[in-house]
Amino acid sequence: MKKLIIVTIIISIFVGLGTAAAAAEEVNLYTNRHYDTDEEILNRFTEETGIEVNVLKGDSDQLIERIAREGKNSPADVLITADAGRLHRAKERDILQSVSTETLTQNVPANLRDEDNYWYGLTIRGRVIVYSKDRVDPEDLAGYGDLTSDQWQDKIVVRSSENIYNQSLLASLVSIYGEKWAEDWAAGIVDNMARKPQGNDRAQATAVAAGEGDLAIMNTYYLGKMINSDNPAEVEVAENVGIHFPDGENGTHINVSGAGVVKNAPNKDNAVKLLEYLSSASAQKFFASANYEYPVNPEVEASELLQSWGDFETQNINLTELGIHNQTAVRIFNRVGWQ
Amino acid sequence: MQLEIKNLTFAYNKKEANIVDNFNLEVKKGEVVALVGASGSGKSTVLRLTAGLEIPDSGKISIAGQTVAGDHKFRAAEKREVGMVFQDYALFPHLSVEKNIGFGIDHLSKSKRKARVKELLKLVNLEGFEKRYPHQLSGGQQQRIALARTLAPGPKLLLLDEPFSNLDAELKDKIRGELNQIIKEIGVTTILVSHDREDAEFMQAREIIMN
Amino acid sequence: MQLLKKLKKASPGWFLLTVGIIILLLIPNLNIIINLFGEAGENWEHVRNYLLVNYFQNSLILVLATGLLAAFLGAGLAWVIAAYNFPGRDFLSWGLILPLAIPPYIGAYVYQGMFSYTGPLQTFLRNKFQLRLSQQYFDFMNIRGAIFIYTIFLFPYVFLMTRAFLSKQSASLLESSRLLGKSDNTIFFKIILPLSRGAVVAGSSLVMMEVLNDYGVVKYFGISTFTTAIFKSWFGMGDLPTSVRLAVMAMLVIFVVLFIEKLLRGGRKYSYSTSNIRPVSRRKLEGSRKVLAQLFTYGVFFFGFLLPTVQLLYWSFLSRGGGLMETLHFAFTSFLTGGGAAVLILTGAVIIATTARMSSNFVSNLLARITILGYSIPGAVIAVGVLLFMLQLDGVLSFLQTGFGIEANVVLSSTLVMLIFAYAVRFMGIAFNSVNSGYEKIGESYFEASRTLGKGVTETFFKIDLPMLKPALMSGFLLVFIEIMKELPLTMILRPFNFDTLATKAFEYASDEMIYRAADLSLVLIFFSAAAIYLITHHRRRKNNAVRN
Repeated sequence: MKKLIIVTIIISIFVGLGTAAAAAEEVNLYTNRHYDTDEEILNRFTEETGIEVNVLKGDSDQLIERIAREGKNSPADVLITADAGRLHRAKERDILQSVSTETLTQNVPANLRDEDNYWYGLTIRGRVIVYSKDRVDPEDLAGYGDLTSDQWQDKIVVRSSENIYNQSLLASLVSIYGEKWAEDWAAGIVDNMARKPQGNDRAQATAVAAGEGDLAIMNTYYLGKMINSDNPAEVEVAENVGIHFPDGENGTHINVSGAGVVKNAPNKDNAVKLLEYLSSASAQKFFASANYEYPVNPEVEASELLQSWGDFETQNINLTELGIHNQTAVRIFNRVGWQ
Repeated sequence: MQLEIKNLTFAYNKKEANIVDNFNLEVKKGEVVALVGASGSGKSTVLRLTAGLEIPDSGKISIAGQTVAGDHKFRAAEKREVGMVFQDYALFPHLSVEKNIGFGIDHLSKSKRKARVKELLKLVNLEGFEKRYPHQLSGGQQQRIALARTLAPGPKLLLLDEPFSNLDAELKDKIRGELNQIIKEIGVTTILVSHDREDAEFMQAREIIMN
Repeated sequence: MQLLKKLKKASPGWFLLTVGIIILLLIPNLNIIINLFGEAGENWEHVRNYLLVNYFQNSLILVLATGLLAAFLGAGLAWVIAAYNFPGRDFLSWGLILPLAIPPYIGAYVYQGMFSYTGPLQTFLRNKFQLRLSQQYFDFMNIRGAIFIYTIFLFPYVFLMTRAFLSKQSASLLESSRLLGKSDNTIFFKIILPLSRGAVVAGSSLVMMEVLNDYGVVKYFGISTFTTAIFKSWFGMGDLPTSVRLAVMAMLVIFVVLFIEKLLRGGRKYSYSTSNIRPVSRRKLEGSRKVLAQLFTYGVFFFGFLLPTVQLLYWSFLSRGGGLMETLHFAFTSFLTGGGAAVLILTGAVIIATTARMSSNFVSNLLARITILGYSIPGAVIAVGVLLFMLQLDGVLSFLQTGFGIEANVVLSSTLVMLIFAYAVRFMGIAFNSVNSGYEKIGESYFEASRTLGKGVTETFFKIDLPMLKPALMSGFLLVFIEIMKELPLTMILRPFNFDTLATKAFEYASDEMIYRAADLSLVLIFFSAAAIYLITHHRRRKNNAVRN
């Protein structure tokens, strides 16, 4: 009998959890960013607007799939992912809606948002070449295309092609130079690899410092994290490598973390407010710098560290292209054996 | 007739031969019957079928004139009022002697139940053992408590499954004597199963050889 | 009469309840299988041409190598613990189970962090000895590294089962071999290993299932296996049919493993012996053999538990206790979710096991198979099935609500109900096995005695079965609790809003390359699991002592 009572209580708690929610003013956020600073910004948003933010964190692909499966009953209002390709995939899967306000148009430049306004970029990261200060003369470095030259035979370290940042990089090259060129390029990189792709971006910089390779392809903010690491050995690694923004015929590949309003958002107004807030000048400074990223809002300056790396030219494409060519990129990777 | 078994047939498994094949038995009220046979002769199975622990493939079992199995009827074990003492006694290890004996008579009021437990403990010569637990008892004591527990609800039929197999020779003689005396004293209809004909003789039972 | 006999003594209430639970457990799986008969996904051909061989190779190498190594390690340790006495032996008899408290993905992060260029080992060598070794020697993120990680953190499954088996063996067997002048090594290889084959193989097949299901380690090390492929094709390519095909192929690998297990066991069930056997008397070790035994056992304990834990403590120290409140919060969530879900799962398992016990062998075997199904299917696949089912259910619910004009809007998907249901699908088998082995130990005569004393099935259950099952329920609860604490893919995919467990948060931090932040959370997680392991082993021990006295 006692057991029965306990079970009843537990079940009713769960049912309670199932039915609760539906507070007065709220917005439901599905995000794959999980930085403490994000929480702080969301708290500020709540303070300023009185709108509670419910957060569901997860892998962005899984979040997209979940919203799609939840269909018209989905509680999701806003989706944030750390890659434009994924935002495009969300648009393709018909889970986002187009929103357009004057504030948003002003805050986010045209090439950093969807052409139909289904999503907006919020922070920018570049995918750059990191080199060993001891062994590489930065004068020898140019664009991504030059990485396939014989000079770098067995010198390049890069992570696996499962990673979306590599996929988006290759997608951008497909968009600019065409599939054939991109496939040759990917095959050339595979030839020049110093080791089988492994580890994350941070591990690539470490491999360069450790002498496993001379060049690494990685995202800017990881270097920022290493410079500010608690581990002195990581700081040392970051000091031993230099950062080169690919130039040449086309600029550096950039990507965004961005957000879109979900198609059946139950709290659409609040969702738009959240987007406007996140792209506003006051939030942008904090939002971008916390993760060593560049702000999208042209009124806001990048953090000192990022400014010290210098200015750079970016690829001249709309980020929507990253999504459009993602499948092609994945298949190229598989064909050339980039693990 | 207190027990009537007609054409009873049973197999544990379809692939195996019938362990009980067309078995017949009639037991009069107050009679003591011994089923004697080697292991595998199906004698224990007859007990289990009688108690309602197995469902027969065919045949009929009646207790005190009522059909409990057969004719598309099956009365569950708890509704048959048949008492059974198990070979390993099966005293509930988490219950005291008093609660073990009182287990089958908890429909009685507390005072009546207490009196009945006392009465039974006296019958099996273990007065004052109420608060003990099964693991604090010797093998012979455990068996007597198991008997007391079985007799408590006043069963129509007492089934004893190999009552002496776990006892050494010296103890066996003593227990056989006691058991015989108790059964005669209350006059309960009894069926016991043994592989030893000596047991049957000692208990002055009608012997049924099974093979 | 025949049907009645098949169900044997099952009472209709219990039986219906069981059927209900079983259907619930099966629906998510069926949801997936139905997908299999649809058209092949657009990516299937591409996957088959370029990737499948690689998936197959990697999965097979990982599964077989880990299974084999864990078998030898686990069996060897079990033998040393069962047969010898040496200082520390009593502690190690349960200490060697502790590696199970560390989820392999956390172990992977710790080892990689330790051996990496920026890790403590290489930093130390560089700063103190100016030693710069080739990175090849420290390369951890490959198949060999993964095999090491899986072996060192999963071998306790084999150790546990083999040790339990050996402790039930009669001492005379061992003693007679010794008297025949056989050396202990000969005895181990000629007698013990063949004898405990069944237990070793059973434990090792558990290890192999865990390996095939694991997502965290292979994802981090960048090794493509079936599990990563399922994630990749479903989430990366948005192609559910292809991922279902891969899932079914992974299940085929499992079936092959289970089939081999059956063959190796030789169709023999190692049965529990109720008679009192004299336990193996342990031989006291002296001199070099003592040192050797200690080196072996403590060595494994060191790499499987002590070293990673100390490393985590050091990292936790480096992070200066930042986020203590946060850690406590997640600990609370994990504890409550794990505890609550484990109670529910155990309740279900008890119902099924009680029915199984009262049914014929065929029915009870069938029930056992169905409950274990969820354990052998990759977590990601169960997640899809459960999500689809909950959405269907929500559809029905909202239809009913509009139909009856009820205002309350009950939604099951994206609530804790969904996640806990998914846990139930996945871990019911573990709970069922515990309860079932509890029933096997009790035997049937208490149940039958109660029945002949006029008590029905249900009354007997509450008065007799349940109190006697307590130890089995306790260890079943703790086993499920540990599993849920460590669980990753289901929680990641199905959790509700604002919901994080120690495991998901630690994984998040770790994959964000914030290993220091992950350290606190991992430590608490390991502490909970280790405490549960301590309770399981010491609960049993107390009981054994009580019986012996």
